[in-house]
Amino acid sequence: MIQLDRKLWRDLVALKSQILAIALVMACGLAMMIMTRSLILSLENTRDTYYDEHRFGQVFARLKRAPERVREQLLAIPGVATVQTGIAIQVTLDLPGLPEPAVGLINSLPERGEQVLNRLYVRRGHLPFADAGGGQMAVGEAFAEAHGIQLGDTIGVVLNGVKKTFRFSGIALSPEYVFEAPPNAALPDSKTYGVFWMPYKELATAFQLYGAFNSVALSLAPGASERDVIAAVDRVLAPYGARGAFGRGDHPSHRRVDDEIRVLSGLSVVFPLVFLGVAAFMTNSVMSRQIALQREQIAMLKACGFSNAQVGLHYFKFSLVMVVLGTGAGVVGGVFLGAQLVEMYHHFFRFPSLRFMLDKWVVVAAAMVSAVAAFVGVAEAVRRAVRLAPAEAMRPEAPTSYQVSLVERWGLGRWLSPSLRMVLRNIQRRPVRSGLTCIALGLATAILVVPNSFRDGVAFVIDFQWDIIQRQTVTLSLAEPGPDRALADFRHMAGVVWAEPFRFVPVELRAGPISRRVGLQGLPAQGTLSRVIDAGVRQIYLPVRGMIISTKLAEILHVQVGEELVVRVLEGREREVSVPVVGLAEDFAGMAAYMERRALNQLLLEGDRISGAHIVVNKAHWAAFLAEVKSTPRLAGCTIKNSLRDGFRKTTAKSIGLLQKMYLGFAAVVAFGIVYNSARISLSERSRELATLRVLGFTRKEVSAVLVGELVVLTLAALPLGLLVGAGFSKLIISSVNTETVRLPLVLTSENYAFAVFVVVVASSASALFATRKIATLHLATALKALD
Amino acid sequence: MLSSATTAPRAKNGDSERELLFHVRGLARAYGTGSSTVVALAGVDFDLYAGELIVLLGASGSGKSTLLNQLGGLDSPTEGSLVYRGANLDEFDEEALTRFRRDAVGFVFQSYNLIPSLTARENVALITEISRSPMTPEEALALVDLGNRLDHFPAQLSGGEQQRVAIARAIAKRPEVLLCDEPTGALDVRTGITVLEVIERINREIGTLAVIITHNAILAEMADRVFTLSDGRIVNVRVNQQRGSVRALAW
Repeated sequence: MIQLDRKLWRDLVALKSQILAIALVMACGLAMMIMTRSLILSLENTRDTYYDEHRFGQVFARLKRAPERVREQLLAIPGVATVQTGIAIQVTLDLPGLPEPAVGLINSLPERGEQVLNRLYVRRGHLPFADAGGGQMAVGEAFAEAHGIQLGDTIGVVLNGVKKTFRFSGIALSPEYVFEAPPNAALPDSKTYGVFWMPYKELATAFQLYGAFNSVALSLAPGASERDVIAAVDRVLAPYGARGAFGRGDHPSHRRVDDEIRVLSGLSVVFPLVFLGVAAFMTNSVMSRQIALQREQIAMLKACGFSNAQVGLHYFKFSLVMVVLGTGAGVVGGVFLGAQLVEMYHHFFRFPSLRFMLDKWVVVAAAMVSAVAAFVGVAEAVRRAVRLAPAEAMRPEAPTSYQVSLVERWGLGRWLSPSLRMVLRNIQRRPVRSGLTCIALGLATAILVVPNSFRDGVAFVIDFQWDIIQRQTVTLSLAEPGPDRALADFRHMAGVVWAEPFRFVPVELRAGPISRRVGLQGLPAQGTLSRVIDAGVRQIYLPVRGMIISTKLAEILHVQVGEELVVRVLEGREREVSVPVVGLAEDFAGMAAYMERRALNQLLLEGDRISGAHIVVNKAHWAAFLAEVKSTPRLAGCTIKNSLRDGFRKTTAKSIGLLQKMYLGFAAVVAFGIVYNSARISLSERSRELATLRVLGFTRKEVSAVLVGELVVLTLAALPLGLLVGAGFSKLIISSVNTETVRLPLVLTSENYAFAVFVVVVASSASALFATRKIATLHLATALKALD
Repeated sequence: MLSSATTAPRAKNGDSERELLFHVRGLARAYGTGSSTVVALAGVDFDLYAGELIVLLGASGSGKSTLLNQLGGLDSPTEGSLVYRGANLDEFDEEALTRFRRDAVGFVFQSYNLIPSLTARENVALITEISRSPMTPEEALALVDLGNRLDHFPAQLSGGEQQRVAIARAIAKRPEVLLCDEPTGALDVRTGITVLEVIERINREIGTLAVIITHNAILAEMADRVFTLSDGRIVNVRVNQQRGSVRALAW
């Protein structure tokens, strides 16, 4: 067998570029598979270890204020193991050098000892000491990084109307804020939102909450039912203005990590299968050609006593080499891309350390899957080789017979040149191969459509969210809902052109057994700033009776327009009211419900109260306006639309850019590989024919046209097919990000299609050019001598 | 020793002096380098005239095909000169060589080399489309008596028919030179005769210079001149005062 392996080696060297093309396509699929599975492993492992070591709670609740003794009541609930109470309060920040006000969520650190739950990881410095006389804070890493905060830097914080200056003692991370973003935000905005920690006494005293808590986390005893505990916690906390307890599954930070893992799982299957399918087809065509070329050699081997198994194994070894090369390159590619993505995840998720962990099992699985693909590809060709009787194999293959092509039978033949007829008849003679080549090129086109449809979807959301729905410059929120004369104060602020009030209240919406916690917004009936928009991009005027909810929310609650929902108010006086759904609104982040503001006030059994206002500010007075905002203690938050939009755009641009580059590379590899291999196989099969044409006086260019013509026709057929499949892929993948927190619309633009077509055409042309260089090396005289 | 026969312009049957097409001097072709050099042609001299029918005889490896390839512009010499109508082929670039083959040379191969995906008519049309003043494919096929097989694919034709399509393809452009490499090598005797008759008739009627490579010494009778090659040299030139008809050859 040594000599046979020597033959294998030399054949491989002769076929090197084709083998390489196949291995590369295989590697793309495997890289994708290894990258996604390893990222899932990395995220899950890191998250679980972090949760475990830092004792992330399992049930959480926010409330208005409860005395510390209630802690004992919570601890007494069957199934509760530990309880961590504390204070979490949203405040306005004044960071030197940052003109816009930022919002911070300050969490308390226990007076004595370390936290029982949600323990912090200190990246640098130390946590503020309770007995150091105050004035110290720890800052979350995302905010610290966004502002280049160093230990010892200071920040102004408005605590219950009083502005105080704090010094940063440390930079910390918490399992509660892996995703450090404002509530209901789809993406982090670390420029204007941060998480902070300070000693309990200092924070509690400032807000007159000493001896009380407004936030609690619990861990469960083994075997305890989360549902029962949540129900019991709700009962205990009901008198204290609780907004309803929730489990880890509903924890916003935890949920975002979960969503990411779900998207990765989707990607880890579909795309690798596409690439491996294409690789299997390429293997099949190359090996079929190789075996056809080696008919006499196979006959000789058999005549000399080699068994069918030996001959079969010899040809299987070709695919083994491709698998080894493909898997090797796939692991390298997967690790490389994975490391890049982990880098990107750092912008979204804050772990003490998120390192790329290669999922070793997936490497084994990848090798096996690609081996299966390659073997499937080669099996048919090998079967033919094995079944070849030596005597038959010694004779040249029967001449190929052709037919008049379909197009000609339709009567269009007259307009076709002989070269074009050759092209069409060749395609028709091998319908399966032509079809598969066409499909593979179509897939290359299709995978290019996906990242751009993401990009266009995001662009649409940005426009929709911040141009159509929200037309204000800023949104100011009051620390506590106030009487509607506060609106007049807003209107009198420097530079304010127009202001519209809103009321915001957390509620639980219930339809039968299904319920969701959302923010219910009260807006002016015909508001001009923050508007409620339907699927047809028309403004919905809010009626005095009934509620408008997000289409996604209606879908989750299984309600239709006209049906009633039970609204349970989770703030202030607890009450439950049935409200009919009178319309559906279109939105892409979180889930919302809207009512006319005064109707909401009535539902809450309160007078004309507002939570804040949406405001249009004259740019000329922008600085003065911000200065006034910073010095207004009653404000709990200031959301600047453009900075939110820019932050969103920047973060998505980064991740989509990476995705685009990846898919672009993959598609180019597939298009290049497919065209190159097809051209090389055609060249090999038809070298005699092409040499004859050269001898008969055809120029090199004309001969190349005959060779490439077939691929041009197949590519042209593949492009529309690919765009169609691409639209399907996009729909599939975009629907996988259709979660409760984020949704993307399917937007397919002609630019997107044009780009996909452009890339495939360029890659195919480059590849065809590369392959047809071989025509120059056709030795005319010898090509003619070689018999069929 | 051979110079008079290989180079002298020769009047045939009282015709006036013929046009000189090829003027070949010291033509040599070697393959490989150093110790592995194989000399395929070791310096040959001859002139070829329009309307002549030349037969090249010789054993395998004697240099016949190499010589034919040189004449057809498929290969370039390592030494010597090959002048066609006053132009040295060796100085032709790729494009000029292609043009030379396209306009002046018709090839007929032992294994026909038809394009399997084109019918008889289309195989000929392939060439007529790129030629300067060709006959129609139908005319060319009628010349080889295939007027009734125009729309058959190569796989539907017999060997002799395929070879005749190949000849029709070669002559449709009205070439000055028709180069035939073992045109009857793959055919039985009877079909071979038909094919040779076609070549002979084309040579006579169109005045094409025909050069035929063969193993079969009997074909020598039909030629004006017969070159015998051995070890890359022309070792004998026989001049037939009277060409024999193909049918009259001693098969």
